[in-house]
This record gives sequence, C-alpha cells and structure tokens, in this order.
Amino acid sequence: MIKVESLTKHRSGTPVLDGVTLAGEAGGVTALVGPSGSGKSTLLRCLNGLECFERGVVSIAGHRLTPGPHSGGVLEALRRDVGMVFQQFNLVPHLSVLDNVTLAPRTVLKNTVAEARSRAIELLDRVGLGSFAAARPATLSGGQQQRVAIARALAMQPQVMLFDEPTSALDPTMTAEVLEVIVDLAKAGQTMVVVTHDHGFAKRAATWVVELAAGKVARQGTAAEML
Amino acid sequence: MTAPEPAKQAATTRRFGTCAWGLLSICFTASLLDGAELDEVRRRGELVWAADQEGGGPHVFPDPADPRQITGFEVELAELIAGELGVKARFLQGQWDRLPLLLEQSADCVINGIELTPERRRDYGCSRPYFSYALQALGRRGAAPASFADLAEPGPSGPWRVGVLTGSAAETEMRARSSRGEVQMEVIGYDGTLDSLEQVQSAVLDAAVMDDCIFAFYADRYGKLRAVDRPFAGGFYTVLTARSTPRLAVAIDDALGTLLADGRLKALYDRWDLAGRQQMLLLRDAAEIPPASQRTLVELIRQTLPLLLSSAGMTILLSCASFPLAIAIGLAVAIGRLYGPSWLKPPLTAYVEVLRGTPLMLQLYAIFFLLPKVGLALPALMAAILGLALNYSAYESEIYRAGLKAVPLGQFEAALSLGLSKWQALRHVLVPQAVRIVMPPVTSDFIALFKDTSVCSAITVIELTKRYSVLALSMGRIVELAMVTALIYLCMSWPLSLLSRWFEARLERPAGTTP
Repeated sequence: MIKVESLTKHRSGTPVLDGVTLAGEAGGVTALVGPSGSGKSTLLRCLNGLECFERGVVSIAGHRLTPGPHSGGVLEALRRDVGMVFQQFNLVPHLSVLDNVTLAPRTVLKNTVAEARSRAIELLDRVGLGSFAAARPATLSGGQQQRVAIARALAMQPQVMLFDEPTSALDPTMTAEVLEVIVDLAKAGQTMVVVTHDHGFAKRAATWVVELAAGKVARQGTAAEML
Repeated sequence: MTAPEPAKQAATTRRFGTCAWGLLSICFTASLLDGAELDEVRRRGELVWAADQEGGGPHVFPDPADPRQITGFEVELAELIAGELGVKARFLQGQWDRLPLLLEQSADCVINGIELTPERRRDYGCSRPYFSYALQALGRRGAAPASFADLAEPGPSGPWRVGVLTGSAAETEMRARSSRGEVQMEVIGYDGTLDSLEQVQSAVLDAAVMDDCIFAFYADRYGKLRAVDRPFAGGFYTVLTARSTPRLAVAIDDALGTLLADGRLKALYDRWDLAGRQQMLLLRDAAEIPPASQRTLVELIRQTLPLLLSSAGMTILLSCASFPLAIAIGLAVAIGRLYGPSWLKPPLTAYVEVLRGTPLMLQLYAIFFLLPKVGLALPALMAAILGLALNYSAYESEIYRAGLKAVPLGQFEAALSLGLSKWQALRHVLVPQAVRIVMPPVTSDFIALFKDTSVCSAITVIELTKRYSVLALSMGRIVELAMVTALIYLCMSWPLSLLSRWFEARLERPAGTTP
C-alpha cells in the first residue's frame, strides 16, 4: 500500500531526508517517531505531494510520485485516495462543521447535497460530534475540531490516512478523545501513517514503528520491538 | 490719490495718547474696510491677476515658443492695467469656473473672459466692459448640423450633443434655449474650451458653442471644424474684483478708462487681430447691466434642489457601477499574481503599477479623449465608470493580495489534501476568507471612490460636488448651497454605512449553514 524508496530531499543545501526507505502494509498503522527536526513531518508531506523531493520514489494507494514538481492532475488523483489530518486542524472557519465535512465530496466527487450530508452526519456521529453539525469551528474545543478534521478527511473514503502530529496542539483530555477516534479507525482496518511523539499511542495502535534521526531511518520494527 | 494713507492715519492717531492703542486698531480695521487693499497692492508692487491658461487663446495660453511663459491679449491687458496702477502684473493659475473663489484668497482680480452678468454685478466688483464677444456654434465640415435651424429638430441619433465650457455664458445660453425647447440638444459641460473642440473633431460631439474669438483663434489648428451659422447672443468681458476691495475696483476701472481713451486698448486688439475699431464702437455703446436681485433661501433651494438631487444620483450610479467591477478585476489580478502561471505575473504587476502610479484624472482623460482617436469612442458615463473601475482595481488587487496572503497556509494545504484543485481551493476556501479579512479596507476604499467620482467632471460627467461648485459660483450662495450639499451627502452615506455594517454582520455568520 505504501512504499518509499531512497527518498532524498534537501532544503537550502542541507539534507532533510537522506535515502529514506520504508514500506507499509494495507490495514497497517505506521508510526513515524524521532526527535524534532528529524524529518518525520517532511516525510509525511512527501507522501501526499505537499512537498517535492529530489531523488527516490513514493508509491501510495496505487499512485506514484517521482522527483521534481508534480502535475496538478497527478496530485488531485492521489489526494482523493490519501487523506491528511494536520496538527493545527485547519478547518475552514467560515463554513459550518457539516459544510466542512461535505466540502470535498461535493466539490471533488460531485456528490449531491443530500448524499454528502447523510454521509457527513454518519461520520460526525462516528467521531461523537453528531450534534455539532451546525456549529462553527471556532465554537468547538481543539479536540472537537480535530475530530471534525478527521471526519472531513474520512468523507473522501481515503485508502490511506496521514496524521501529522494530530494531538500536539491539544491538552491531555482532548488528546485522549482524539486518540480514541484514531485507535478505533486502526481497529477498523484503516491504513494509516502517523507522525507522533506519543509512545503510549504508538504502542497501542502502531503495527510498525519507524524512527528517524537526521533525515535517515535510525531503526524500524514492530511496536513491541521498538518501544 | 487723495485718500490718506494708513501710515499717516496711524501717525495722527498715536498723538491721542495712552488710550490710543484701541483707537488705533479701530482706525486700522476701518481703513482696511475702506480700501487699504489698493495701498496693499502698491506696497507689494504687484497686481495678482488670476486666469486659466487651459482656457486657451487668444485670452491666456502657454507661449508656443516657450511653454514656460504665458501669452495672450489678456496677459498684455493685465500688464497695461498693472502699469497704470504703477505696479507689475503677476499671473495666478486657477481653474476657470472657480477663478472668482481666488478673489477671497490670493488674487486681486480675475481677467479671463469673465462675462458681465446681473449675478456677477450683484456678487462681485465688476469693471467697465473691456471686450465684446458673441457666441459661435461650430461643427464638423460636411456633417450636420449645418445651420442653427437644424438644431431646432433632433439630430439623426437623438438630441444634438453640444459641448460648452462649464460655467460660461455659452453654457447658460444653450441651457436656457434648450429648456425653452428652442433647440433639441444635450448640453455637455467641459473644464477646458479646447476639450470640446477636440471632441467635435473626433465626432464625439455634434457641435460646440464658444466665444467667437476663441474659434477664430483656433480655426486653423482644427481644420475639420467650421462655423455653424453666424455669431449670436453675446455680451462683454469684465475685470472681476472682490466686493471687499472697492478702491481697487475703482482703480482698475479708471485704468481701463484710460486705456480705452488713449487708444492703447484698440492697438492691443489690433495686434491680436481682434478688430480693434469694431471693439471700440461696441464698448463705447455698451449698455449698463443692472445687478440681479438676491433670491430668498426657499427660492434658492427650490431652484437648485432638483439639480443637486439628480447629480447625487449620478454620484451613486458612478460608485455603485464601478466598484463591483473594480473588485472583480482586482481579485482576478491578485489571484493571477499569487497563483497564476509565472509568465502572467510581470504583465499583471505592470498593470497594477501603471494604474496605481498615474493619476485617475489622466486615466479618465486617456479613456475619454484619446480612445476616440483610435476609433473607440465611449460615452462619457461609460468612460467614467470604466476609468474608476480600472483605477480602483489596482488598489483592490493589492488589498486582496494582502488578504489572500493573510489566510494561513495550512488552509490551502488542507484544501489541497482533500483533493480540491488549486482553483477549487481558492473558490471555496481561500477567497471567502480573504474577503472577510479585507472588508474594512475595502469599505474604506468604497468611501474613497464615492468621493473620487468628482474627478469625472473632467470628462463632462457632472456629479454632486461639481454641480454644487457650478451652482454656488453662478448663484453666489456658497455657504447655503454647501449646507444643502453636505446634507445630501449625509443622506447618502448614512444608509451606505448601515448597508456595509449589515453586510459585515452577514459575513460573520457561516455561509450555507443548515438550521
């Protein structure tokens, strides 16, 4: 499902990723760990083309990214199958919770309003926010916003979900409620790549752990071996 | 001069002793009211005379041999009058229809083809006539109208379009004839005489009406134009002074009297090919014009309000038609510069810099006066709306560029990560947020545009400010009309600010929310 081969990326002369190679099974949860600046987030952003790279190949959900700038068509096709959840949630502030979730199905998949809505309400129920459909993101707590962001990404029914430090901006209570949702997803067999500092979470949910250091894979193995 | 000079008066006053200071100031004030202005002119050694060199020849215009200098028969007349007063003449540039306002400021007199009218007799000091003019209609060679009789019926495409100098006797005369139904024409006011000549030449106007001497002077330059029928109506030019300077007025009048009597005025007119002998005969038998009577405030308002209100409508029309256009163009330019292909960026940057870096007035001129030369004649209203929209689009594009950049990058990345294309992300995520961010500066730009519409009078679109200034000057009721005009502006801006507040509040709510 996910295959990264000798991925190399420089930023102003210094290597950020240096020959990274890894693989992820369908239905598996890959945790990317390592100190700040080790290249975890950059690696994740290379997986859905938010960043370009100089050498190597990324294969993900049947799509293939090669070095250099990617064409809009390739990226749009890839991103339909690869969802992403950010540290800062990035919900659209002027749209209601429901409209945030239906945005992509309606504009990208051209679903009808009714279709998109019923699916969105299902997803909001699944993350425990069914009653917040009409609310504006700003009125929600951070944990609630992150759960909406997860529902929004799920609305595209992606084959792979990427999580970029999904709980780093949250306090412990909110972290717990978001992790609960992610662990449930993992149990349901969603293929995921999660950048995280939270070893407890990695232990609970990850099937494979990759530790990066200075842009290189330092160690990798099962959660039990690694942590 | 037999009147005592203020210095002597003051010297006399000082002898009265300790309480003299109060007395002195009273005397000094009295002497000011009593014509110390003439002594002031002599002390200064300069007679400051105001005119508009844009008005053109033969009156006052830039010397073709040295455009830094001005020339014209009135330049020489001013020098002759100043010479009679024993001082030098100093020229002061002003816009023709506002020259009388300079009398309250820095000008001693106005010498610039100012027609002697009952209203001016009432509101200003007017010298004896120094020149006799008639009005001349002119059109294009080989095109209608061919005679004055043609003007009584509408032209081939509706009423004749006839240009006049704003605030001139030609304008008053043609508007009066038009409102009496004697002629079928739309009278269009220009800020400069040459503008209307240009517009007849480029077929934007059917005809123009101006003082005969102006057409005679420029007939060779505008070879396509011809006189329509013989000169008609007409009157006299006068030297204008402020009401508060009666002694100066008398001195100037005396000077004119001397110049008339000793033949120097005739010689001047002959030098300028202005038929000196005929002028002398006409001036000799000029009839006295009685001053007009003052209108009551109610009369004034009843006469001017309909005109002011229709001009206010023009202000609203100009702003409301041009601003949405400016926003649409500005947003497109901003998006093109930020997210468009790289070859598009230099021309868009140039677009913004050129429109922002040149005056609105110049752009309006280019659209209205230069486009017809390449065969693209826009009606004045269209030209005004287009000019305002283009000019403001440059400012709007910079505002939207800042607004788009102020939306966090994460918003764009999140939208792209959902599979939206760049344009879908802009349309659904970035632009709606940018629009909310830039509401305050855009609102303030709309207010600025509202006021900038007054520049459109340069291309004959008369809105409220221009209408006020024309009415105030022709009626001499500057303060009263200013109050009425201010009230109209308030009545317009109040609902406008309510509207913008409502709009802002509406944008605060999430769009398309399910209840």
